[in-house]
Amino acid sequence: MQYLDLALNTAEQLGAAYADIRIQKTTKQQIYLQNLSLKHTSNQILEGYGIRVFHDGAWGFAHSSVFSNDAIVSTVQRAVQIAKLSATAKRGNGMSLAPERSYIADYSTPMQIDPFAIPLSEKIDLMMEVNRTMLAFDGIKQALFYLIMNKDEKLFASTLGTRLNITTAFIDPMITAVAVCDGDSQSRTFDEGGRAVGWEWIESLNLLDKAKQIAEEALIKVKADNLGAEQRRSLILDPNHLGLTMHESVGHPTELDRVLGWEADFAGISFATPEKLKNYQYGSQIVNFMGDNTLAEGLATAGFDDDGVPGQKWHIIKDGILNEYGTTRETAPEIGLNYSRGCNRATNYFDQPINRIPNLYLLPGTKALTPGELIADTEDGVYIQGRGSFSIDQHRVNFQFGGDFFWEIKNGKLIRPLKKVLYKSSNPEFWNACDAICDERFWKPFGVINCGKGQPGQTGRMTHGSAPARFRNIRVGGSQ
Amino acid sequence: MNPFFGKIAAYVKANCSADDYTLRVDLTDRHDTRFGQNAITQHLAGLKTDVILEVAFGNKTGSCRINQSSEENLKYLVETAESMAKLNQPDPEYVPSASASDYQEISNAADATRLLSPERMVNIVQASIANGIAKDAKTSGMTTKVYSEAMLTTKNGFVGTYDMSRFEHSMTLKKGEVETKVSFSSKDFASFKLIEQISRLNDQFTSLGTPQVFEAQKIPVILRPPAIAELMMFMLWQMDRRDADEGMTPFTGQLGKQFFGKDFSIASKLSHDLLAGAPFTGSGIVNRDTWWIKDGILNEMPTERYWAQKLGVQPSEMFNIYIPGSDVSEEQMMQMVPRGLIVNRFWYIRYIDSKSGELTGMTRDGVLYFEDGKIQHAVNNLRFNEIPYLATHRILAKGAESLADSHTVLPTVLIDGFNFVDKTSF
Repeated sequence: MQYLDLALNTAEQLGAAYADIRIQKTTKQQIYLQNLSLKHTSNQILEGYGIRVFHDGAWGFAHSSVFSNDAIVSTVQRAVQIAKLSATAKRGNGMSLAPERSYIADYSTPMQIDPFAIPLSEKIDLMMEVNRTMLAFDGIKQALFYLIMNKDEKLFASTLGTRLNITTAFIDPMITAVAVCDGDSQSRTFDEGGRAVGWEWIESLNLLDKAKQIAEEALIKVKADNLGAEQRRSLILDPNHLGLTMHESVGHPTELDRVLGWEADFAGISFATPEKLKNYQYGSQIVNFMGDNTLAEGLATAGFDDDGVPGQKWHIIKDGILNEYGTTRETAPEIGLNYSRGCNRATNYFDQPINRIPNLYLLPGTKALTPGELIADTEDGVYIQGRGSFSIDQHRVNFQFGGDFFWEIKNGKLIRPLKKVLYKSSNPEFWNACDAICDERFWKPFGVINCGKGQPGQTGRMTHGSAPARFRNIRVGGSQ
Repeated sequence: MNPFFGKIAAYVKANCSADDYTLRVDLTDRHDTRFGQNAITQHLAGLKTDVILEVAFGNKTGSCRINQSSEENLKYLVETAESMAKLNQPDPEYVPSASASDYQEISNAADATRLLSPERMVNIVQASIANGIAKDAKTSGMTTKVYSEAMLTTKNGFVGTYDMSRFEHSMTLKKGEVETKVSFSSKDFASFKLIEQISRLNDQFTSLGTPQVFEAQKIPVILRPPAIAELMMFMLWQMDRRDADEGMTPFTGQLGKQFFGKDFSIASKLSHDLLAGAPFTGSGIVNRDTWWIKDGILNEMPTERYWAQKLGVQPSEMFNIYIPGSDVSEEQMMQMVPRGLIVNRFWYIRYIDSKSGELTGMTRDGVLYFEDGKIQHAVNNLRFNEIPYLATHRILAKGAESLADSHTVLPTVLIDGFNFVDKTSF
């Protein structure tokens, strides 16, 4: 704790209007198995601190991995020097920070079994068995298993008086089977994304069953038909697929830094500009999106963000109308808000925190509806499971998505598997075309652990979720 | 050798009891100034250390990565990697670490970049913002300086070090519907001319005007260097020898064949003055000038060490990209086809299908429509679905080579019948 006080006292002595220090230790274990060959088995520890100084309406951030009084002081000095330089290129009086009170708190990801306590040999035995299960199928040419376990331990202190001790953790298993047949190659992946839980989740997944299922489905997929020419059809999208669709077409457009144009040079801006708040029909009336950094098992659930703002839950889209953004202490005042929604997060100790997508999910339908009933109610469409190709323009309007597994629907029945299916749509057409969402019994989370944003690039984490939903009259067809 | 590297290498050599090991150490000093809407929004700097040890007992492997270098940390590094290897199962594809090899000494670092001050970087940002304000427009961008040193050493005798520098500056200028960008990336800051960059940005900005609605269609395109670089990068990421041999990419069975257009070649070159390139890889593959594609023939594919050993070929890695150009100007290209589009840059390229090699992506930062040899007006951004290796068969002309980024030199290219499939609203 001496380093926390030393950093903040030094920053204040050097004239900082605000300063914080985040000491962060990231422990990661990664195991990558390909066709029974362990391509990568690694333990990693990255430990250091980032010091952020707000001076004269501008930021300076410096980081170091050297823990000594001298290093702390010199890092603060560097941050102050940088902040002063930043202040020579500010807009008007510079940025301001939304007010926030001080907190003294602890947070730790709830879990039953610490994944790092499980012997490596036990993990590898499981992964090998999963690989063998997939390779036992004729035509499966490649079997992959990628397992990541991550723990971040943070001490955060700010000149507001906040002192936080936060430990977050997640685990992410991803299994892929690649089938090669008759000159084509197609893959099928089991990937729920990461989840902020312990090893008990892995034990509950029945991965051997999943391996068998995706190997079978990869073989079905490689022999499946192409859909043919693009035409307007209904789409039924499962939660695993919708997680990525909402990430790209709702999550990023409602990050306030993009809305403000701060990402114009790289990640892009947003069509969802402030004059649309409270009046823009982003989706149909059944479309309700929540930002929720209190979500149990959510990857963005950490008690507090890297501004020291507590996790919150709010409507981003309410009854189809654009309601509110994901905000930070620095972005919120730019549109006249005097509070932050707590979306400022950094990936590593050496990253300056940036405005991130919160845990963001589509609320389930309020009327009882099963996926089977939804399919039975659809005359001509495609049912898409899992993630595939995805691309969206830099204003987050036009997009094209693929998927991982596809079934053609005719007259209320799944009639044949398909491959290489794509759909094209745009905002606000897509979410306004949503006419049915299954009920809460079928709501599932989907974690993203590799959301690329920022320069230097950071990989953010957040959880999405939905029940299966239907979208009418979307352009759907096969690729070349 | 940097004494810091020497200390870590000596510790590992003295204390690692594994049958084999590979030690990589990187030191990276980086300074980034991001600006958005005419103000600096982020500004960060620091020195990072990265120490990675991979060990093997027989063919059982393990690795550990840390960012600290005290004796206690190095003890943890060695013990953790060794304990992981002992607990691991045998790797049937294990390959012993690289042995002693000569590698090419090249100049990847420039003093002008290494010594660049934060004050000078901010001056560049201030001038960039001032240009935007003078046009009543908003400028966003990033100025970056990186200086890094790397060491690789193995139990089998490989010892290598190199350093590398990079300076980058990008500017996006936006006013109303008009939005365009230029970027510069080179190992040598001395070659950066801010006035030229601003002039190019302003020329692009002026040429765009109000975009007119343009429907997606197959049409000739002039792809400027940033656009062709993005497209080729995605194609080349797929060009792995093993993936091809196992039937998973479009390159299966194509080695030695005329798979690309005859007027299309790609190399990696350590000998190119402008290009940065590491002299060896993180696994000890010694990089060498390599023609991956020569006059349309698929000549060689990057091959990792295990697969290379299995095939009895040299392992290789694509460490930079050089595509030879010609001398056709954009004006001459516009005369070669009745009508077409000029694309500054692509965005969000992704694979649609790994086996066919089909990609999708959007245009970005300005698209110009030309007809009768002249630029007529700007148009909205478009989505493409295209297979790059097939597109190389439709190359009609190439311009002069230029630096697209520190690791990429290539020309502007005119391609016939580029497959645009959708348009967006701006």
